Parts: sequence; C-alpha cells; structure tokens
Amino acid sequence: MSGSASLDLRLPIGGLFTALGVIIGGYGIATNGSAIYAQSQSININLWWGLVMLLVGVLMFVAGMRASRGAHPSGMHETVESPEGRATERREHRSGLEQ
Amino acid sequence: MDIARMARLAPVDYVVMAVYFAAVLAVGWLLRRLMRTSTDFFLSGRSLPPWVTGLAFISANLGAQEVLGMGASGAKYGIATSHFYWVGAIPAMVFVGLFMMPFYYGSRARSAPEYLKLRFDEKTRTLNAVSFAVMTVFSSGISMYALGKLLNLLLGWSFDASILVSAVIVLAYIVLGGLTSAIYNEVLQFFLIVFGFLPLVWLGLVAVGGWHGLSMQLSALSVARGFPADAYTHAWRTMGDAARNPIGVEWFGLVMGLGFVLSFGYWCTDFLVVQRAMAAESMTAARRTPLIAALPKMFFPFLVILPGMIALVLSGAGGAHGLIPAKLTAAGLPLLDAAGHPVLDYDLATPMLLIRLFPTGMLGLGLTALLASFMSGMAGNVTAFNTVWTYDIYQAHIRKGASDAHYLWMGRAATVVGIVLAIAAAYVASAFNNIMDMLQLVFAFVNAPLFATFSLGMFWKRTTGHGAFWGLLSGTIGAAVHHGLTLPAGAVPGIKGGYLGLVHTYPSELAQTFWTAITAWTTCMVVTIVISLMTRPRPDEELRGLVYALTPRQTDAEHSFWRRPTTLGVIVLIMTLALNFVFF
Repeated sequence: MSGSASLDLRLPIGGLFTALGVIIGGYGIATNGSAIYAQSQSININLWWGLVMLLVGVLMFVAGMRASRGAHPSGMHETVESPEGRATERREHRSGLEQ
Repeated sequence: MDIARMARLAPVDYVVMAVYFAAVLAVGWLLRRLMRTSTDFFLSGRSLPPWVTGLAFISANLGAQEVLGMGASGAKYGIATSHFYWVGAIPAMVFVGLFMMPFYYGSRARSAPEYLKLRFDEKTRTLNAVSFAVMTVFSSGISMYALGKLLNLLLGWSFDASILVSAVIVLAYIVLGGLTSAIYNEVLQFFLIVFGFLPLVWLGLVAVGGWHGLSMQLSALSVARGFPADAYTHAWRTMGDAARNPIGVEWFGLVMGLGFVLSFGYWCTDFLVVQRAMAAESMTAARRTPLIAALPKMFFPFLVILPGMIALVLSGAGGAHGLIPAKLTAAGLPLLDAAGHPVLDYDLATPMLLIRLFPTGMLGLGLTALLASFMSGMAGNVTAFNTVWTYDIYQAHIRKGASDAHYLWMGRAATVVGIVLAIAAAYVASAFNNIMDMLQLVFAFVNAPLFATFSLGMFWKRTTGHGAFWGLLSGTIGAAVHHGLTLPAGAVPGIKGGYLGLVHTYPSELAQTFWTAITAWTTCMVVTIVISLMTRPRPDEELRGLVYALTPRQTDAEHSFWRRPTTLGVIVLIMTLALNFVFF
C-alpha cells in the first residue's frame, strides 16, 4: 500500500487559501473606498473575505506542517485486522479476485 | 441585452483562476509517483482517512447539477427544494453508512457492479456496469455543457475553448494521480465552493433585508403566482395538496419518490459516491465516510438553494422574476412558450446573483468556485467510469488475466476516452430547461430500480441472480413505460414523455419524475422477488460477508462511543429532523 500520507492534503489546501487570501485581501486594500463596492452593499468584501481566507489558509498549512513533521502523520493508521476481513480474503482467493 | 457584456473580468480575477488551476495540477503532479498499481489508481490503495473521503463523497456530487440546478430549483420551488437534502440525501447517506457499507467495503469488491458479480452473477454485473458507464459519460457531458454555455453567456468566452480547457485540466490531474488525485482535488474544490458561495449568501441576505425580508417578498410573489403565501418559504406546510405548492407534488409522492426511491437509489448504489467510501483506510472509516459527509451536506441548502431564492426577488433584468433572465433563442431573442410568456432560464439564477453582488476580485473567486464545482463533478464521473470500464467491462469480458500494469495502463486510457465521450455528450445535451430535472430523470430510469436490487441482495439471502437481472431490466423498462405514458403540464410529447400515448398529466416535471421512480422501484422489487422464488438460491456458504443474515454484526466496540458510526448516524438524523421542523 502506497501511503497517501506522503502528501498531507492540508498543505495544498492551506497553500491555495493563503495565496487567494493574499491576492483578494491585497486587492481589497488597494481598492478600499472604490466605487466597485456599491454592488456589494458598500461592504469591502474583498478585504474582509480575503482576511478570512488568509486565516483559514495559514491555519490549515500550519496544521499540515506540524502533522507532516510528527512521527505519525495524520491519515496513516494501522489497518484493522478482523476475523471477517480474513474470511473475505479467503473468499476473494477462491473467486480469483485477489491481487 | 448585449450578452458578451454581462460581466467583465479584471486581471485580478484571472490571477485567482490561475492560482486555482495551478493548485489542482500541483496536487496531481505531487501524487503521480504514488500510482504504482491499479489498486492505487482506482481505489487510492484503500488508504485515505475518513474526513478526506467524506468531503470527497459530497464534493464528487457537487457538480453543475447541484450548484446551478439547486439554485434553479430554489428559484422555481423555493425552500421546499431542501427536501432533496433533508428528506432525500441525508437519510440515504445514514443508511448507506450504517447498513450497506459493511457489504461494499467488507466484500472487497472493487466497484459497485463487482459487488453484484460477487452476490449474484456476471450478467447482473454487466447490465449495471454498462448502464452506469453510459450514465457517467452523460452526467459529465451535461456538466460540461452547462459550464461552456455559462462561461459563454457570462463572459463571452468561447463554448469550445471553455469545455476543452476544463476537460484537459481534469484529464491531466486524473491521469497523473488517479483516484487519489481526484479525491484530493474534490476536497480542495469543496473548500473553494464553500468559500466562494458563503459570501454570496451573506451579501444576498444583506441585500434583501435578511431572511425576514426575503420571506416577505417571496410571500407576495407566491400569492401572485397563485400559491399560498408560505409556499416558497416553508418546506412542508403546503405539501398536503399537489395544487398548493410549486413542486406540484403531495407529501406521499415526495417522501416515496424523492426521499425513498430516488435518493436511496442514488446515494446507496451510485458507484460515483460509493467509490469514495471504498477508498477509505478501514471498515470503520468507510462507514463513517457518508456520515461525515452528511454533516456539511445538511447545511448545503443555505449555500446552494438560497442564492436562487434571493435571485428571484432582487430587482433586475427579469422584472417580476428578479434577476432571472428569459431563455434566448439561437437568434438572441427571448424564447416564448405556447401562451406567449417568456421561458425563464432558471439555471442562471445563481450566476446572475454572483455577477450582481460580487465586485472584481470576489467575482474571480465566485467564478472559480463554479469552475471547481464543474471539475469535481466531472472528475467524480470520470474516475468512476474508468474503474467500471476497466474492472467490470474490460477485465470481465475483453481481456481477463492480464498483468496489473496492463490494467493500470487501461485505466489511464479509459480516462482519456471517457473525457472525449463526455465532450461529445456535452454537445448533445440541451433540451431541458432545468438540468436537475433531466438528471433526476436519468437517475430514475437507471438508479431507482437499482436500490431494490442492492437492498434485496444485501438483506434477503433468497434473492437469486436471475431474479436480480430480470428485476433490474424490468424496473428500467417500467420507468420508460411510465415516462412514455405521462407528461408534465404544458409539455408536448417527446423527450419529456408521452411518446407511448398519454394517460396522465402531472403538474410538474419533478412530480412526473418522482412517480416514474416509484414505478421503476416497485416493478423491480416485485419482479425480483417473484423470479427469485422460482429459481434456485445460492448456498449460504457462498454468501458469507455478502448478505446481512450471514455476516457478523459490526459492533465497533473497539472505538470510543462518540467515534462509532451508529452514534454519528443518530446525531446526523436528529439534526436533520430539527432542520425540517425549523423550516416546516
């Protein structure tokens, strides 16, 4: 079994949201007070939502980094061995499905 | 109205889109080294944690049909559209997690059709595999068509280029990283869709004066359309009588048709979603997958239905219909129905709201969220297609016993072919005025009988292969006959039904769809039982692990109380019940 844990999913998602937060939030700062916010009910939605995304992105990225550095990265557990699992394997063997 | 100028994108909007494209491709690139065997490619090596498979479980379904279709239905039918979630999806997801996953995951079948092969026989598997493969291509074609049409209408982009670019990106990340890549990107897309639509709902509610303001305006609109004042803002109050609600269905048709047959048929048997759970790392993780998925899913009505309802009351191009524009003919003129009224393009409800409320910057994010939904839907279909094609059609009938490397290669080839076929389907799909209704119709033909087959197979050990096969076939035929003999009000015989003669007219397409599903399920159930009783059952020994009565119960005793699937399932059901009461 190749480990999916070799890429912690929180890293790309955290990275994406950090980038989006910086871009959209930065654009919000640059356009603060602009007439474009008339359509968003006079709320500088770029700035506010950019900050929210930045926060979420950084938190996810940090969580992903911490887990990746730890001994047991999140997402990797011992496979549970159970009697019924073995029974299935026997059946699989019989029906030639085994890989 | 000059269509090409509905919205203009600024450089910052393109940057946002480009960052998203880079992210999904990067995920595929980073995962490419992990695809060593066909199990890695088709089943993610059965190694993913449940929160990942759970979010992918709903995201794979969060395609065009959900985001645009639910917005469209919100504008057409109001908050009652949430029945798709609170009566339909959630109870079905709890059922598949608690009761059916032990057989899907426990049997070690690699696909839903393969379970049918283990439980019944080769012909039942093949019938299911072929109809499923056709359906995935069709679904992803519809998704692409909607994307191309939308981008063309909103931004003036070329229909062909929009389809091609998004198809090539999806193709690239699946060929590189297989199911893991599709699933990882589905989770990423899930977050993007949520973060793209939450601010839309927020700004929308601010614009219409909150839920209270929205209710007031929808009440007036409801009365003007000849319904009771609360028909658009309450989910159950007007369900006593088909004539008093815009869906045109009474509670029995709703609960049986949508809730029981269609939703259980879709969420419990559709390999597109079940495949996500099968990629989980353990039996408990597989069972928790749909339950974890149900937690965010129950709040999706606020994310995808509310925008449609808000679009209906915000003043705009549609006059009395808010922001919703008329459908246009090929010549660019409003399309008129038989009575001379313009036909409304409900699928544009959500995109129109997006353009109306999002300034440059957020507009890029909103459109990227839409693109993300299309891509997750397309990727879900394509990964389910390549698996079913490779395992259930190619390996079963065309080339048995080849090397694993060969099937891995075939999986990649099937991905390319599947996407090419879906592009072809995109050019075919354009007759219905609401994508959701069309998909529900297809699901009714193919999926509604399936739930009867799977549930009889899992819970009644007497069911035989012959019974399952003929039951499935007659269920689908039953659906086609019912559809062919009925029509929704105002439609002409043709793709909408009535092609075999007309014996009944339903008040809406949805009502017809629900009853088509009920017919299909009942036919399949009865035929399967009758033929099973006439044919010889398989000995118990062969059915261990495949049938409820012959499989040890899942006790989950090794997990703490709150981590057990049953506990989670009960919590999900209580919360869903509460939502039904809040919006009663």
